[in-house]
Amino acid sequence: MFEKFKELLKEEMRCERKELPKGIKMQVESFNLWYGKTQAIKSVNMDLKENKITAIIGPSGCGKSTLIRGLNRMNDTISSVKTEGKVWLDGFNIYDSTTDCVDVRRQVGMVFQKPNPFPFSIADNIYYGCEVNGMKVEKDEVVERCLKQSALWDEVKDRLDENALSLSGGQQQRLCIARALATEPEVILMDEPCSALDPIATAKIEDLIDELKNHYTVVIVTHNMQQAARVSDYTAYMYLGELIEFGDTTQIFENPQENSTEKYITGRFG
Amino acid sequence: MNIRKLISLWIFTVSTVVAILGFWALATRMDVEYWMFFVALTLISASYYLSGIYHHMTEKDMNGVFMLFYASIVLMVAAFSFYLPEILDMRQWEINARIPNFFFYSLSMLFLGIFSSYLSFRPFYNFKKEGAQMGAYYMLYITMIFTLIPLFVILFNIVYRGAGGITWEFLTEDIISMGERGGVYPAILGTLALILVTAVIVLPLGVGTAIYLAEYARKGLAVRVIRTAVNILQGTPSIVHGLFGYAFFVLILFDGQKCLLAGALTLAILTLPIVIRSAEEALNAVPGDLRDASLALGASKWQTIKKVVLPPSLPGILTGTVLGLGRAAGETAPIMFTAVYFSGAGTPSSLLRPIQALPYHLLSLYRLIGYRDVDLQAWATALLLLIIVLGVNVSAIIIREKYRQRF
Ligand SMILES: Nc1ncnc2c1ncn2[C@@H]1O[C@H](COP(=O)(O)OP(=O)(O)O)[C@@H](O)[C@H]1O
Ligand SMILES: [Mg+2]
Repeated sequence: MFEKFKELLKEEMRCERKELPKGIKMQVESFNLWYGKTQAIKSVNMDLKENKITAIIGPSGCGKSTLIRGLNRMNDTISSVKTEGKVWLDGFNIYDSTTDCVDVRRQVGMVFQKPNPFPFSIADNIYYGCEVNGMKVEKDEVVERCLKQSALWDEVKDRLDENALSLSGGQQQRLCIARALATEPEVILMDEPCSALDPIATAKIEDLIDELKNHYTVVIVTHNMQQAARVSDYTAYMYLGELIEFGDTTQIFENPQENSTEKYITGRFG
Repeated sequence: MNIRKLISLWIFTVSTVVAILGFWALATRMDVEYWMFFVALTLISASYYLSGIYHHMTEKDMNGVFMLFYASIVLMVAAFSFYLPEILDMRQWEINARIPNFFFYSLSMLFLGIFSSYLSFRPFYNFKKEGAQMGAYYMLYITMIFTLIPLFVILFNIVYRGAGGITWEFLTEDIISMGERGGVYPAILGTLALILVTAVIVLPLGVGTAIYLAEYARKGLAVRVIRTAVNILQGTPSIVHGLFGYAFFVLILFDGQKCLLAGALTLAILTLPIVIRSAEEALNAVPGDLRDASLALGASKWQTIKKVVLPPSLPGILTGTVLGLGRAAGETAPIMFTAVYFSGAGTPSSLLRPIQALPYHLLSLYRLIGYRDVDLQAWATALLLLIIVLGVNVSAIIIREKYRQRF
């Protein structure tokens, strides 16, 4: 009763709502971000389609990581960051003053550039998200579900109690993906998830990403254009903090509208 | 083995012997006369002349000349040193102090001996790079030995003189007739109690401050102020801590009554900087990646600290704390106004009663030397204190090695 009341109150307190067009999971609306006085993201508008893979490409330092971290408010951990603009998730603005960024991060999972499993057992790594969010779930079930979804189950099912650091780099990265799935997110953000891995491990992760889009909306940052072309449905090209071009992956790669995009993907700079 | 190598070995041996003689003379204040010094240096110099001439004859390069040059310098130093005591006589600057002559000569023998043996590696390796490298290794060994020597001398001295005094009676009885008989049992317990109570006070305070500094505080003025305060606290002489403890804890909090708690509080202030520093280091050693991973899963900051940051840094925090306690265990100044009696306090029974403790016991016995027959007891107390402090430090090492976390 009380819980329900709190829930209602919370809903009411979200002052702003927006009905997103059908098939769009997240919408970035004139988003600006500053590190101290330097502006790293300049007025970006972008739609992220549900159950599709969106790739963000661009030369290094152009703000890809900053933008993707803006999608689950990870930038809040850096004290010098100021933001402006809105990011809609299912009709709610995640930057609304009444939104709790901890809730946002549960719904929008994230995988980082360098595999960063906790120095716990494999099972504990996966259960961690459920534990901190107070989710009432069966640990064994969650562990099995997530490991199967991340195609790691067969490799580790006999050693769930072993320290996660004993896994190889590629396995660690898939474990990090599995860990992100445990909190039942709707969107998964990946910031150059393969850049620290060898080609075979990379191929496995790419297959996995392709699987994931059946259940999740995926955003992936990559500096590897072949990878973007291989895995993504939509591609965004960024340069110096601005979103230069956004569209169908085939269109971006075969028929870019902007000069700068074409230069970048044909490898003439970057 | 050719002649060049033989000569080099000869130089090395002579120089090392000279260095050891110099060190020995310095350590035992043996009187070194000028002629002994002169003979030693002439011997080294002559060997270098020999080696230099031989090298130049066989190899026809300039490296032999270098050795002749060095040999001449040694010879000049030997001759010049005759006037050194006069030149460095402090009285000519109206400073009423005298540096004894033997000091110049033994010190010069020590340094010139070491340097000559170091140089002898070059002809041995025919002036190749390897020679310079082996010489550098040799110098590193020498410095290592020179840092270890005082440690072993102290340890040996204390064990040698104190071991005889450690008897069953000494370990289990209270002191009798001003320490001439009886033992230090209450003092052992008192020191252990001090360590324990200090640990209980300092751990939460220190770790809490460290968490605040490392995890919560924005890097701004507040942090700088706290950090400066911690540094000042660390640099404060322990006698000042003792006086503060007396003025604040004893006089104001405990009505003028010295007690275990007052001593532990004072020691806690003394160890606080060490604990804060080591805890902060341990927390900062946890990679930021792990914090990000935890936050990205929807954990709050406090959950992240509790579950991800603290567990792997705990061994480091404990090690630092134990090292700090080891320092506290041996301190006299902070407890002598705040917690300890020389005798009559008995075994620790209450936080609000005074205690006896080993460092203060040692100080008191030292004051009695000459009036009472307590030499052996004093050495035995020193040995016991050493054992406790070393034991504390060894346990710190064990904690660190056993639970060391790798990421
Ligand atoms: N924590 C930070 N503080 C200040 N500036 C930052 C920080 N992180 C990134 N930047 C700056 O923001 C810009 C975008 O960085 P980033 O998003 O990491 O680029 P990318 O991921 O595309 O290589 C860069 O110019 C970088 O120097
Ligand atoms: Mg980046």
